[in-house]
Amino acid sequence: MSEQKELKVEDIKKTAEEKSCAVEKALYYVTGFLSGPMCGKCFPCSLGAYEAKVRLQNIADGRGTDDDLAAIRKIAGNMLEASMCKKGKDTAKFILEWIDTDVFKKHIEGVCPDRTCVAFIEYRIIPDKCNLCGLCKDVCIYGAIHGEKKKPYLSGYLPFEIRQQKCQKCDDCIKVCPTGAIIIVDAKVKEPVGV
Amino acid sequence: MSKTISLKIDGKDVKVPEGINLIDAAESAGIHIPNLCYLKGMRGIGACRMCLVEVEGMKSAVVGCITRVKEGMSVKTTTPQIEEMRKFVLDLILSMHPLDCMTCTKAGVCTLQQYAYDNEIKESTFTRKKFGYPVDAANPFIKRDPDYCILCGRCVRVCKEQGTNVLDFMGRGVGAKVVTAMDKPLQESSCTFCGSCVDACPVNAILEADRWRKGREWDYTKTNSVCLSCGNGCDITVSTKDGNLVKINSGGTEGSVEKYICAIGRYGFDSVSSDARVTAPMIRVNGELKEATWKDALNAAADKLKASGGKTGIISTAGILNQDAFVLSKFASDIVKTKNVDTTASLYSDADSMKFSDSADMDSADVIVLAGLNPSQWERVLPALDASIRRRVSRGAKLIVINHGETRASSIATVNISADEASSLAQVAKALIAKGKKADNALASAVSGSTLSEDAEKAAALLAEAKSPIIFCHPSLFNAARNISLLIDIKVIAVPYEANARGVVSLGLTTEGKTYKEMVSGGVEVLYAVGEVPVEKRPNVNFLIVQTSYMTELAKQADVILPATTYLESEGTIINYLGKVKESVKAVDPAGDAKQHKNILIELSKAMGTPIKESAAKMKSAFQVKDKPKFHPFEKKKGLEVNPSELNESINKSVIYSSRLVWLKEVAEKAVV
Repeated sequence: MSEQKELKVEDIKKTAEEKSCAVEKALYYVTGFLSGPMCGKCFPCSLGAYEAKVRLQNIADGRGTDDDLAAIRKIAGNMLEASMCKKGKDTAKFILEWIDTDVFKKHIEGVCPDRTCVAFIEYRIIPDKCNLCGLCKDVCIYGAIHGEKKKPYLSGYLPFEIRQQKCQKCDDCIKVCPTGAIIIVDAKVKEPVGV
Repeated sequence: MSKTISLKIDGKDVKVPEGINLIDAAESAGIHIPNLCYLKGMRGIGACRMCLVEVEGMKSAVVGCITRVKEGMSVKTTTPQIEEMRKFVLDLILSMHPLDCMTCTKAGVCTLQQYAYDNEIKESTFTRKKFGYPVDAANPFIKRDPDYCILCGRCVRVCKEQGTNVLDFMGRGVGAKVVTAMDKPLQESSCTFCGSCVDACPVNAILEADRWRKGREWDYTKTNSVCLSCGNGCDITVSTKDGNLVKINSGGTEGSVEKYICAIGRYGFDSVSSDARVTAPMIRVNGELKEATWKDALNAAADKLKASGGKTGIISTAGILNQDAFVLSKFASDIVKTKNVDTTASLYSDADSMKFSDSADMDSADVIVLAGLNPSQWERVLPALDASIRRRVSRGAKLIVINHGETRASSIATVNISADEASSLAQVAKALIAKGKKADNALASAVSGSTLSEDAEKAAALLAEAKSPIIFCHPSLFNAARNISLLIDIKVIAVPYEANARGVVSLGLTTEGKTYKEMVSGGVEVLYAVGEVPVEKRPNVNFLIVQTSYMTELAKQADVILPATTYLESEGTIINYLGKVKESVKAVDPAGDAKQHKNILIELSKAMGTPIKESAAKMKSAFQVKDKPKFHPFEKKKGLEVNPSELNESINKSVIYSSRLVWLKEVAEKAVV
């Protein structure tokens, strides 16, 4: 139909499996399935996959509840049984493959064990390791990093900090930090880090 | 016809014909398998998955709409697992369907509501999805509210199958929407407003436009009757509330290709209670029409009729009921004693074609020939015939179109013969003889001279193999077409343009004196017009009696007007184009003082001194005329050419212009300007 080559279920599955977090895997798979190979002919699959996506998104966004988990389980189970073709059944199988791992449960409790779901993590700068070079500030396009570059002739300076509200968790700062002063922590864990 | 299959459904032994699916099989045993996307008569698509059932020996559940019956099958329509899946589907649908059953017009007949009730689903456990699509309510016929749509696709498939092809899906899954081309309002699409989608919609997504707070299904009294607006005579179901007409639906058998009515049949009923009706007898006094009593009006008519006797002309439409026609025929011959009695059927047909046409079952036809006819839903010329043929073709029948001009149906025909119809039929006959079909000498020698075209041979090849073929022809071609029935077993039907032409002609309303055409150009002294005859100008007659339901142009020029009931207020039977006797049942009380045609005639005969007696037995015997087909030359009868669209329009003029159908005219006019 479209000019672009449409993604096949196998391609989506492959990319999904490369993700480390199970929630992310499932969400990527279902999102890709909905926008691509889903034919939309039978109700359990076309309506079910959409609802599953909504629920997975809730979990990935940190708003997940046990209800969501139960709903996804119900959808996947019924999709597997009732949908018309292999595509729908494969999607259901993929979700079911990962849903019973601890990972989903952990997300509902507020932790992404792989520290990849952005809703569950924060980027922090460990003051002790920071050499005040300012490379991270230069590279941050969101203006989320505040602080003053160390200048030899000045005695006082502002330490580097990440403003969580602005941070998009793009990972660019970590890549440029020469001293490994920037780390990812669970957002829920509020005690001071890096000491 | 076909083998019988024995199977078990929920432990019940069921015997059903071969080839049907599990939903239909269960239905015949009184077991309902829930379904949302299935449409009886059409192939299942297995989309909604509500009809999942368990078959013994099968690994997983199968869909009842697609799975066909097999000998010895054992089916379970409910198991805990299947219930779970059905609930799941309903749960999903309900998550995107408004939960306003308390004000919903479809409450009581909504399939979704019923299934939610059956499965104890109060509300969805899933995330509520709201769309807020705009409602298409720009026309006075059909309202489409996509927010209620459950995406079952019934409307899309009904529209496609009958060839109108207006509706289709846009998008997939949750975001899908049923739209017209470019998502335009219906009147800007090629919609004919037949309302087949209204009958198909299981929920409140497609509905008659004027239904809001006009009562719900349980408030209505339903009457099964027949529409007399055109030559098809379709079954209708009339809903009334407190004696008022609310809506008309198709009354055809579920799953039959004949389950169709057009916009005139569905929406023309407004006219029954409109100002255009004649509700009291009227007499012309000093050049002006004044309301009068029945007694005075009848006496005025009786005096003139008695005086003019054999110089009286009686004309009628062929859309009157058999009982009315029978009394009218007796009235002419025994009371008025005139030979000048004719109907509008004579404009397009001869007596033989109407009397001797076969009866046929449209649903089993496998090869259909359309000779000299151009049915079209768009021009509303025999729209139901057009729709039925298109559905038959969608379901696997082959169509052969023989017409010298262009036809709408030719696009779906397997064989198109665009040449003179009579000689093409001769060629087909010759090709059939060449295939070894036996012919008598007269027929064989008549066709020996014709040269075979490739198309005629193709047509003959189809006909030779056909199991139950039908020829639908123009009445002028009836004798020519009937020759084919001397060669093969085939039903030959001359299709009239009015609902009861077959009945009216069989009951003797054919002239032995002056013809309809002669009478309307003034060849008689007193003219008695029954029904809304398509005459605009008063013929040059001394006295004009018009017995009509509506104040037509002709009625305005009459000397006496006798108010008649419309078909929705009358009782009797018709014989439709397929030879079926259909019953017209009174759905509402007559407007004002209007009386049914036959009762007016009986009253009038009393006023003239000799009352007519109705005789059901005599009427019945009139229909039992049998005629053995014999060879007739391959010729087209002359003098039967009418423009069917104009004829239909002019007979239904009062209905169209005094109902919401007039809106179509206004839109068409605007489009021209």
